[in-house]
Amino acid sequence: MSRPMDDPGASGVEDGSAAAGGPAAVDHPLALRVSHVSKTFPGTRALDDVSVSVENGTIHCLLGGNGSGKSTLIKILAGVYRADPGGRIRVHFHEIDADKTSPEWARGAGLHFVHQDLAIFNTMSVAENLALGRGFPVGPTGNIRWRALRRHARTVLERFDVHVSPSRLVADLRPADRTMVAIARALQDQADASEGLLVLDEPTVSLPAVEVDILFGALRRYAAAGQTIVFVTHRLEEVTRIADRVTVLRDGRLVTTLDSAEVTKERLVELIVGRALDHAAANASVMEGEDLALEVSDLWGGPLRGISFGLRRGEVLGIAGLVGSGRTSLLTTLFGLQPPTTGSIKLDGAPVSFHDVDDAMDAGLGFVPEDRSESAFLDMSLRENLSAAQVAKYWHGMRLRGREEADDARRSIADFSIKANSERQPFATLSGGNQQKAVVARWLRRKPKLLLLDEPTQGVDVAARAEIYRLVRDAVAAGTSVIVVTADLEELARVSDRVLVLANGRITHEVRGPDIDPSRITELVLSATGDPTDPANPDMEVSQR
Amino acid sequence: MSVDDTGTATPVVAEGEPASSEAPGVRSGGHSAVLYNVERFALPALLVIVLVIFSVLPATGSIFASAANFQEVGFNYVYIGILTLASLIPLVCGEFDFSVGSNAGFTQIVAATAMARFHVPLGFAIVLAIAFGAAVGLGNGNTVARVGVNSLIVTLGTSGILLGVVEWYTGSQSINNGISGSLISFGSDNSLGVPDVVWLLVGVALVTYYVLEHTPYGRYLTSVGSNARAARLVGLRVDRLKLSAFVLAGALAGVAGVLLVAKNGSASPEAGNVTDTLSALAGAYLGATSIRPGRFNVLGAMLATYFIGFSVAGLAIAGVASWISQVFSGAALFLAVVVSTVLGRRRAGTG
Repeated sequence: MSRPMDDPGASGVEDGSAAAGGPAAVDHPLALRVSHVSKTFPGTRALDDVSVSVENGTIHCLLGGNGSGKSTLIKILAGVYRADPGGRIRVHFHEIDADKTSPEWARGAGLHFVHQDLAIFNTMSVAENLALGRGFPVGPTGNIRWRALRRHARTVLERFDVHVSPSRLVADLRPADRTMVAIARALQDQADASEGLLVLDEPTVSLPAVEVDILFGALRRYAAAGQTIVFVTHRLEEVTRIADRVTVLRDGRLVTTLDSAEVTKERLVELIVGRALDHAAANASVMEGEDLALEVSDLWGGPLRGISFGLRRGEVLGIAGLVGSGRTSLLTTLFGLQPPTTGSIKLDGAPVSFHDVDDAMDAGLGFVPEDRSESAFLDMSLRENLSAAQVAKYWHGMRLRGREEADDARRSIADFSIKANSERQPFATLSGGNQQKAVVARWLRRKPKLLLLDEPTQGVDVAARAEIYRLVRDAVAAGTSVIVVTADLEELARVSDRVLVLANGRITHEVRGPDIDPSRITELVLSATGDPTDPANPDMEVSQR
Repeated sequence: MSVDDTGTATPVVAEGEPASSEAPGVRSGGHSAVLYNVERFALPALLVIVLVIFSVLPATGSIFASAANFQEVGFNYVYIGILTLASLIPLVCGEFDFSVGSNAGFTQIVAATAMARFHVPLGFAIVLAIAFGAAVGLGNGNTVARVGVNSLIVTLGTSGILLGVVEWYTGSQSINNGISGSLISFGSDNSLGVPDVVWLLVGVALVTYYVLEHTPYGRYLTSVGSNARAARLVGLRVDRLKLSAFVLAGALAGVAGVLLVAKNGSASPEAGNVTDTLSALAGAYLGATSIRPGRFNVLGAMLATYFIGFSVAGLAIAGVASWISQVFSGAALFLAVVVSTVLGRRRAGTG
């Protein structure tokens, strides 16, 4: 594995230029060179003149917050997007104009991608998974030659150091092995480790710490054998453990490329956020008093590890955290979908314990789930969708009062500016934004005490987004308290009165008032680990009672 | 524009105008609103056409258009009609009950045995048959809702077990004696020129319609059938609702079993089988293409049952070979479901 000899701090942009004159040196030090690549979308410049070089046989981390352009860059490499004209991309000896990439080119150049969801088939064996996407060895009658398949699988597994039997079902493997099978599948046809380039897109998101260790051990071995790996992650503590080099993007621009040995987690956060760390960290203050709509103390269960906070009446509380931080579990636990193992929840000062959703609803809670497939009754009418959480209200005199329900539906359509021809319109024919408005309206009609919103504006256009938050604001003015979870930290900063940062099932920070701005929250989300022994979180203990 | 059974209007869409700009993806123009109504009323229209054609055709008219024929067809399809209602309830919440026919066969033996062997009064025998039917439904429902096994497989298994139990218990012999005389006369008498059993079907259909369309329970079942996860998140106890749907289906199969005894004056181990289940499911699916297209509904299912009933009777009177009747019912279901799937897809804007 070759380490750069030149000044690592400044090398990011320049690395390639030395070699640019003479191609085809046999031991070319660069596995990937991206030069002056830009990508413009209508209204935004997602990438602005970005140049990155990745040396052969290294693990190179790509970092950046929301909107930094790192996923755009990956998609250009994969040929999903084409860049603006002018840039060049070279993978080993395959060079192309950046506006001409295609999935075929990426495959031909030896770029292999393994995404977060792995795209492996749990109900099939390891050998079958390896053969899918590559082809099964077949005999004269089109029959699969199982023995040859297993032999091939065994060779591949040996080569990639995966100690599992080819006939095992993928579902039975431990998570790290599953990831490694996906990597082996991507790389199996590469004759030599130094040929291609492996891009791992957040492979550790759903892995427990032990599994991450196993995976990292394997990645280290692959790199030592000459495999170049580009590694995308949000978990900064992983960067210093696994990476040789780090490239940071911000707002579509290259910030820097450096040697990971010389960088601390704090420094990385500063680079990602774009300003010096604010060490006067916000303290989570313990709130007590009669005015609390919700009081959660020491809540454990699932990924949650001792959550305590209070929520005032008419307050919008934002929850920020990475995937796996427990942000969704917090909402579903409050809503009675899974009972907490310990801890107490008080509503208006009175302790409550919900055995199921209807208990939570009776107590005045509402929940808009992250995925519309969990809230929409697509083949039912708009009217039925609006009244889904209060059907019993229309049951009197031994009849479901259709006319009353229709009147209410028409009122909701007007109040919540849902665009529809009539309240009888099939829900499937409404646009995504209008469906989401109707789902939010379904709960607001109940005048909830506490509304839980999980990614309420996902897949919704800008106008509908504003509408939805206007509706929420109106409800808040009428006394509803809101907890909102969203990965869009700008949105979170805009709508929240107060923000809690969640990491590994713990609240690590509380941000309030003037401190609420997207880069401050991004910084806290990225630097928080939720580990009480981590010195990066001196204020950790404060919110833990 | 028309008014439907819940008293509200169908969408008003200006003729020939493209979908208003404020409602993207909505029905494009008046064209498909017309199509929607064509779809809704296609099946009743076809039923009327069948009735008219067979009444007018010289070869069939004199026999087909007689009161006796109408009583006969009405009588013959009551049993299938009740089974159709039984299979409808689990279908509304997204589950199959493949055991309704065998369950009816089982409960007719329960009712007949209670009367013939244990000399139980008629009323109690009926209650027993319905209770046994409901118990079978409870078994199905528990396995589906609480254990989480696919309903088609569970009820297919139940169906096999019931058929076997009936054969074992009866020794393949019919129970012909000791059946209550008032039950047999109920099975053969007419009131107001209509067979009593048809009145029974009308009553059961009305109750089922009321429960499914005019109670929160019916709406809950529909919600579970539409999206079980979303139903849970609006506070519905999905497991209990599914369980209850199977229990109701079993109880209705019990009613169908009693009806079999009334109709035949005996209980035969041959009566009540998987073929009846298939007819019932066909009726429910065919019915879901009309009145409220895309939804299982009682009125549609009843129209479908009698559309097939009168068509098959007319063909039989015309002297057509009996296999043609079978092909006819199969083809009707096939065509109806294909047409309604295509139209439904267009409606949802995914076609």
